[in-house]
Amino acid sequence: MDYEVIAEDIHFSYTSYDESEATEKRKAVDGMSLSIKKGSYTAILGPNGSGKSTFAKLIDILEVPESGVMKVFGYNTSDEEHFWDIRENCSYVFQNPDNQIVGTLVEEDVAFGPENLGIPTEELRRRVDEALTYVGLQDFAKKEAANLSGGQKQKLAIAGSLAMKPQLLILDESTAMLDPRSRDEFLSIVEKMNKEKGITVITITHDMSEASRCDDVYVVKNGKVFMHGVPSEIFAQKEKIKEASLELPEDIELYTELLDIVDEPVITSTLDSQEAMINSVASILPYKDMEDVNPEAKHEKKKNPYSGVVLSVKDLSFKYEDKGKLILDNINLDVNRGEVLAIVGKSGCGKTTLISHFNGLFKPQEGDVVFNSSSGDSYSTKNKKELLRIRHGIGLVFQYPEYQLFEDTVEKDIAYGLRKLNLSPEEKHTRVLEAISLVGLDEELLSQSPFELSGGQKRRVALAGVLVMKPEVLVLDEPASGLDPKGRRDMFALIRKLSDIGTTIILVSHNMDEAFRYTDRICCIKEGKIAELRDATALFMDKERVNELNLSFPHLVEFSDKIKAAIKKQMPYVVFEETQKNAKDEASAIIRSIKANVEVEHAK
Amino acid sequence: MLNDISLGRYIDTGSVLHKMDPRVKFVIYLLYLVAIFTMKSKIGILVTAVVVVLQIILSKMSPKNIWSTVKPILPITIFIVLLNLFTIKTGKTLWQWKFLQITTGGIDSAVFMGVRLIFLVLITSTMLTLSTTPLKISDALEKLLSPLKVIKVPVHEMAMMMSIALRFIPTLLDETDKIMKAQQSRGADYDTGSIINRLKGYVTVLIPLFISSFKRAEELAVAMDARCYRGGDGRTKLNPLKITSFDITWGAILLVGAAVIVVVNIVFK
Repeated sequence: MDYEVIAEDIHFSYTSYDESEATEKRKAVDGMSLSIKKGSYTAILGPNGSGKSTFAKLIDILEVPESGVMKVFGYNTSDEEHFWDIRENCSYVFQNPDNQIVGTLVEEDVAFGPENLGIPTEELRRRVDEALTYVGLQDFAKKEAANLSGGQKQKLAIAGSLAMKPQLLILDESTAMLDPRSRDEFLSIVEKMNKEKGITVITITHDMSEASRCDDVYVVKNGKVFMHGVPSEIFAQKEKIKEASLELPEDIELYTELLDIVDEPVITSTLDSQEAMINSVASILPYKDMEDVNPEAKHEKKKNPYSGVVLSVKDLSFKYEDKGKLILDNINLDVNRGEVLAIVGKSGCGKTTLISHFNGLFKPQEGDVVFNSSSGDSYSTKNKKELLRIRHGIGLVFQYPEYQLFEDTVEKDIAYGLRKLNLSPEEKHTRVLEAISLVGLDEELLSQSPFELSGGQKRRVALAGVLVMKPEVLVLDEPASGLDPKGRRDMFALIRKLSDIGTTIILVSHNMDEAFRYTDRICCIKEGKIAELRDATALFMDKERVNELNLSFPHLVEFSDKIKAAIKKQMPYVVFEETQKNAKDEASAIIRSIKANVEVEHAK
Repeated sequence: MLNDISLGRYIDTGSVLHKMDPRVKFVIYLLYLVAIFTMKSKIGILVTAVVVVLQIILSKMSPKNIWSTVKPILPITIFIVLLNLFTIKTGKTLWQWKFLQITTGGIDSAVFMGVRLIFLVLITSTMLTLSTTPLKISDALEKLLSPLKVIKVPVHEMAMMMSIALRFIPTLLDETDKIMKAQQSRGADYDTGSIINRLKGYVTVLIPLFISSFKRAEELAVAMDARCYRGGDGRTKLNPLKITSFDITWGAILLVGAAVIVVVNIVFK
C-alpha cells in the first residue's frame, strides 16, 4: 500500500515569549501517529484546540516536529534537501477566505502559486483558465477578488491550489466560515478533484457531517489520535464521540435514537448511507411488538405568553442613493415581546440592511421602525434624540463580534456601553458582574486583557458587552459561525437562557437546522420583501412552500420525512405527530405515533 | 459610507488606459505631474482642464467614480485654498479686516493651488489607481526600479509589499465599517461632540482594526508560504509586461497632451 503521509509519534509545542524570554510551552501535538493512503479522502476531526490544525501545518512543513518522524511523499520533512519536493506538491486552503488572497484580480490570484513555481507564461495561462473553469469561476477571471462572496472566495482559493497541480490537498477548516449551500458546493468540487484527478485530500474539520463523505476518519483529542476508522465505524461509537466534544450528524442521531427506544442494536454497516438506515428502520419498526416499548411522553408546548409587540417595522423601504434597486421593499414586521424569531434568506437579500434598521444604524428612508419599551414608552428610530435609548433597548450583535474588542481589560470593554448612562462606578461594576456571569465566564477574567482570551471566550465577552445594557431585544447575526460543536451548543444554551429570562431574540441565520431547532417563528426575506412569516415547525412541514421559497430543509426534518414515508408504505394507517425540534424528541414522537396507531388498529 | 472612497480601488471599464502597459503609463504620468506644475496662466488652466477632461473621457469612468476620488481630498484642498488666500500678500489689497487681508496675489495663488491639486488627483486616479490593478502598478515599479537591485535595494520585496497593501484596502474598509456599526450599536457616537471626543471615538475603532490587521498579516504570510512564495527569483508572470505598438501609439498621443500643457504655459506666461 502506498502512503502519502506517515506520522510516527509526533510531538510539537508552541512557545510563548514574554519580553524575549521563552516562558510558556503549550503542547499542541502530543504523540500523534497516523498514515494517510495515496488517493484517499481523509478527515482529521477534533474540537478547537485539539491540535488538528497544527498537525496539518507539520505536513506542509509550515512547522517542524520537535520529535517523531513525519514522512510526506516518502521524504522526511526535517530533511532540508526535500523541502521543496514536499511543499511544491502539497496545497493548502485555509479557513479565512480574505486572508489567503494575494492577487487583486481573480486570475492574478490563481496564478500566484504557479508563478512562484516558475511555470512558463503560456502554461500558466492554460492552468489558470482550466482551474477557474473547474471550480466554475471562469466568468470572474478579470473581476476583483475582494468583491466575491465568501463561498466564491473559497472556490478561488481552491482554484489557486489546483493550478499548482498538487498531489496532496489540505483543507484546514476551509468550510467553517461558509453557509451550508456554499459548503456543499465547495465540498463537491473537492470530491471531484479527489475522484477525477486522484488528488489525496486531508480535511481538518469539526463538522461530523463532512466526515461522512470521507474514506477514512481520524478523531483527535488533546494532540493524540483518539479514534480511527471508516465513517460508519466512527459513527457507531456515540459515547466516544461525545467524549471528543463532537456531535453525530442529525440523521445518524435520529436513527440510533429510534433503535435505542425499541432496544435494537445498531448495525455498523447501516451507518454508511441514508438508504441503508431507512431500510433498516423499515425492516424493524413495523414488526416490533410495541407493548413493552415506552417512548417518552409528549412535551406539552408552553403557550408563549407574548405580551404585545416590542419592535414594529412599518412600511420600511430602503435603497442606496445611486442604485435604483430597492434593498428593502415595503417591509412590515411585528416582533412579539418574548419570542425567538429567525430571519433567513440568501446572502444579499437584505437581511443585514434590515437588522441595521432595528436600532437606527440606518435611518428609515421610508416608513418607520418603532421600539416599544417595557416601561410603556415608544421610540422611533427616525428621531435622532431617541437613538441612544433605542440602542440600549435593542442590542445588536454582528457576526464575529470578537474582532471588535478594543479596551485593555475585559471589564472596561464590557462596560463601554454604559458610559453614557448616569451610573455610579459601583452600579457599573454590578452590571458588568451580572453580564459576565450571564455569559458563563469567570469573574477573574475581568482584569485580564480581552486579547489574551480564547476565541470562544472573546465572543462571550463581546456578547456581555451588549448584554450589560440589559437589552429587551437581542439581535444576533450568525452567533455560532466558526464555533466547534461544543461552542455552538454552549452559545445556543446561552441564547435559550436569555430567552427564558424574557429577552426577545432575533436570530439571523443561514443554517436551517439552527433556525428550525431554536426559534418559534421564521421570517424569510427574498429580494427585499418578506416572503414568508410563519411558525417554524408549520413552515418546514409545508414542503411545497419551502421549495417555493428556495430554502433548504433542516437535516432532521428531511431525514425524518424519509423514514416516515418508508414506514407508511408498510403501515398506511399511521398518522404521525408534527416534527419535533431535536433528534431525541423526534425519535420518541415517531415511536409514539406508531404505538398509538397500532393499538387503535388492533382494537378495530 | 466608507465604500464611497475610491482610494486604491480599481474599476474595470476596459478603456484604452486600462489596456496600456503600466510602465508606459507610469512614465507618462510623471511627465503629466511636471506639466501640471508648470501651470501659470489662466489660459494654461483652461488648456490643462481640456486635456484632463479628455483623459477622463478616455478612461470611460463615470462622473460618480471621478467624484468619489475627488471628494476625500476636498477638505485639504479647501484648507490650502484658504491658507493661500489669507497669507499671500502681494498685489492689490481688495479687502481687509483687522489682520485678515485678501489681495489679488492671494486670490491668484489660491486658485492655482486648488486647481492644481484637483488636477493632480484626477490625473493620478484616471491614469493610475482607477485604471491599473495594484499588482500591475507594483510590477511596473519593480521593472522601472530594477536597476537599483545592483545597489542591493530590495525592489521586488518593496513592490510586493505595496501590492498587498493596496489589495487589502477594500477589505480593511469593510472591516472598519463593521467595527463602527458594532460600536454605534453600543452607544458610540462619531458625529457629535467636540473634535477631541470624536477623535477619541476613532481610537476605539483603530485598535481592533490594528489587531485584526496583525492577525491577517500573520495568516497571509503563512498562506503565501504554503503557496511556495520565495521571493522574486525564478518567478514567472501570468501577464508579463510587454510594450506593443498599441502602447507606443497611445503613449505618444498622451505625450502630446502633456507637451501641449507645457508649451501653452511657457508661451502664455
